[in-house]
Amino acid sequence: MNPKRVLAVLFAVLLVSSASFVVDVGADRPAPVPFEDTITMGMTAAATVQAEERGVEVPRAEVFYSQYRYVVGYHGVASLADELGREGHARQFGTPLAIYVSDYANADLNVTDEGLFRISDAPSTYEGWVAAEDAHFVVGSRARTPAGEAVVPFSDRSVAESFAAEHGGTVRDWDAVRSNSFDTGAATGEAFRAEVRAQHEWADRQVANATALLDRPVSVVVGEDAPTLPAAVEAAPPNTTVRVPAGTYDVNATGDGSLTVDKPLTLRGAGNDTHLRGDGNGSVVTATTGRVAVADIRISGVGDTFSDENVSTDQGDAWDYRVQLGYGYGDAGVTLDSANGSLVRNVSVDTPANGVVVRWSENAVVDGVTVNGSDDWTDGFMGVMVMRSRTVVQNSTFVGGRDGVYTHLSDGLVVRDNRMVGEGGMRFGVHEMYTSDALVADNAVTGASTGVVVMTRPNGNLVVGNHVRDSYAGVNVAGRASYVAENVVVDNHYGLEAPSQTSIYERNVVVENDIGFRASSLIPTNRVVENDFVDNDRYVTASLGPLRVWTADGRGNYWDDAPGSDAGGDGVLDRPFQPSGPVDSRVGDTPGAATLANSPSLTAIRALQGAVPGLRPTGVVDEAPLADPVRPAVVDRAAGANGTETTETDATAVPDGDANATEMTAVGATGIAPMEGDA
Amino acid sequence: MNRESVDRLLAVAGRELATVVRTRAFLALAGGFAVVVAALAWTAGAVGYVPLVLDLLTPVEVLVPALALAFGYRTVLGDAERGELDVIRTYPVSRATYVLGAYLGRAAALLVAVIVPLSAVALLVPLFGGVGTTVVASHAASDSPVLYLRFVVLTAAFALVVMAAAMAVSTNARSSRAGVAVAVTLGVALVVGFDAGIVAGLVGGVVPEGALELALGLSPNSAFRGLVLESVVGGVAGAPSTSPVPSVLGLLAWLAGALAVATVTVWSGERR
Repeated sequence: MNPKRVLAVLFAVLLVSSASFVVDVGADRPAPVPFEDTITMGMTAAATVQAEERGVEVPRAEVFYSQYRYVVGYHGVASLADELGREGHARQFGTPLAIYVSDYANADLNVTDEGLFRISDAPSTYEGWVAAEDAHFVVGSRARTPAGEAVVPFSDRSVAESFAAEHGGTVRDWDAVRSNSFDTGAATGEAFRAEVRAQHEWADRQVANATALLDRPVSVVVGEDAPTLPAAVEAAPPNTTVRVPAGTYDVNATGDGSLTVDKPLTLRGAGNDTHLRGDGNGSVVTATTGRVAVADIRISGVGDTFSDENVSTDQGDAWDYRVQLGYGYGDAGVTLDSANGSLVRNVSVDTPANGVVVRWSENAVVDGVTVNGSDDWTDGFMGVMVMRSRTVVQNSTFVGGRDGVYTHLSDGLVVRDNRMVGEGGMRFGVHEMYTSDALVADNAVTGASTGVVVMTRPNGNLVVGNHVRDSYAGVNVAGRASYVAENVVVDNHYGLEAPSQTSIYERNVVVENDIGFRASSLIPTNRVVENDFVDNDRYVTASLGPLRVWTADGRGNYWDDAPGSDAGGDGVLDRPFQPSGPVDSRVGDTPGAATLANSPSLTAIRALQGAVPGLRPTGVVDEAPLADPVRPAVVDRAAGANGTETTETDATAVPDGDANATEMTAVGATGIAPMEGDA
Repeated sequence: MNRESVDRLLAVAGRELATVVRTRAFLALAGGFAVVVAALAWTAGAVGYVPLVLDLLTPVEVLVPALALAFGYRTVLGDAERGELDVIRTYPVSRATYVLGAYLGRAAALLVAVIVPLSAVALLVPLFGGVGTTVVASHAASDSPVLYLRFVVLTAAFALVVMAAAMAVSTNARSSRAGVAVAVTLGVALVVGFDAGIVAGLVGGVVPEGALELALGLSPNSAFRGLVLESVVGGVAGAPSTSPVPSVLGLLAWLAGALAVATVTVWSGERR
């Protein structure tokens, strides 16, 4: 056999292939793409809509990463700088291959008196892209966007300098901007916990403040000093108590609509024996001024209007006007309208619409209320409807109805220690819309479609210590920089759902769900560590985005059947665990899967899998699975209390070949409004 | 080397190639390797070239030495056992020409068996890879077929080194049984032994931390792995970079040393 040809061919192949060592991979910079085609980060839905409606320009950036194959767009150069500095960012995305920022060198810019940053839409001006390292940034000018300070990039240094001369600030290069922190990013776990404590303390102060209203002296007793309730309210001087003794009072029978309290009064009954009966039209009690208290009464006969189309307010040009009318003006047992610091306490309401409506009422407190709503959510409305009000809703019970607590644009409110009894017909236990920095803590939800749901990309929400059982989904938090911790989700279809970005999920206990965690964001920026996953049919599903690494600082999560041993004695298993993988996901329930999972070849092959997560198929890998549960007592309680119900749930479980398909059918079956589109 | 000895070299190489092609066991081994590589690549769901390299690196590190030793350990041994070596020694062939020629022939066959399946599975990436959506703008990130090509070249070089070691086994073993035993021992040493030794040395303080890079160069598997991680994954994962020089020198030393040992030990004394 003539070896010449074979040797020559092999030699030639190797020689030519060796040229691959000379080629500089990734030398050419990818060209910018339209911003609409990127995955965007960095601004809340409310801020985005607001910016659009008010014509406020937001400088943008887009980044091509070495380890993430989608182009990531950022609203605001400041948010890009903060995200680049976030711990774990480089692990998941690699290094930026190219960064482009808005170029305003040819744009006609102006800054309004309030500091809002605008761009003229004259045809002669336009906004382009410039590579970040070639750009000159004006930092610290008076230009603002709804998301905060505007860092304004220019390709031309002289234009940047003249902008700075006119509007203040200094001209910086990219390296200087990048190393800055603008406080737009996510906090650490510790900062979040401090935030949780601060929110509780704030709520405690509001509750103490409002509860003081119950100490007002009694000036009028209905039936003794005044014949009717309206007459008593009319007669009572401000800052006194109107006592309503046991008995049934037909409130609207006096003919002039609902009972309106327009001075700071306390309306106090004798508990459930004081029954205020409406005539089925409108709200039963309405407070239209601050410092009103309604306590210890029972209310029925509420109207059945969800959205009052005949209201006219002075908010006509607000971007959320339609939402305000659609949600904030329905009928309720008690309505607080511009009633700052008011109190609704120990009131029980039977209602076909809302239990309590709180609109434009800062620091109001709803405490110990019981709302009995409709059996099916489509027939009812909210237990407490909070609109544009930072309030406290606590210690209350919501049976049936649409949502237990619905919040619209009520940044910083606190919803804690409530009980939502859905009985299979409720939609959401707690439903946040356009609400940032809120605390939802220690609520117990059963039988709802979703226990706690945060929609519309808000920032900084704290969802802590809630228990959700027997619902379709436990906790579903969208938005950014939020804290989802210490929640217990048991026996739901989905335990936790995470469309969120740059959020922290820690110390949650996820037990006996069909699917423990649904990782549904395209962009893998959540930090998911120290959670307990026990007895779920499937640990995790992920249908979009690249491989997620759920390990930080050498610690991951507890997966009950994860194989491997803790040889090092540091509480961490030696073998990485892939809860979404074909073998590891079956370890707990398929006989033999555990044997296969311990195969050295499988271990060897996956040893390097976490190296470039951004270029991997979607899924989850935990490089340091925990050997023991993080909260063993809670896990035992959650699993134990549920023992008898397992078989029933299993029978109704949806086979989950395709997470999306399942979601779609479920949505169709129960008529849940699509995410983000509720307003 | 003059033209005559080149012709002799090629004649020996041709003879070895013919032997390999005619031996069904080699075809079965090569086929087995190809099937394993294909299966691994397929089940890994390769969405990019760099992940594919990472998926194949460990299996290749184990399988290529096995394949090379299987292809090579009987090269000279077989000739000696059948008495053909005595015949060859009557020809005007120097020890170096015989060993090098035999090496070239076997190595050529091995390279075909290694390069073809590795190159073939790379096609899975353009065929089935990508990012799974067209809604969002995507790009190649740091991924590139060039990086995969580097992996193939490095694997070929690694195969050549282990094949040289197999030659040394085949010239030293006195019987088939001894040959198998030595080949298996060498295989285990390559895959486990040398690295375990370095770990032990590091623990015992024999290998100082500063010399770790050099020590890794002495183990062909570590040298190969280091070069792949450095030249293929290094730019992507951003791990602390190691110098490729000790690894390259280590592999070259193994290649030259093993061939020299084989040449010296293939036969001794005057031509009979």
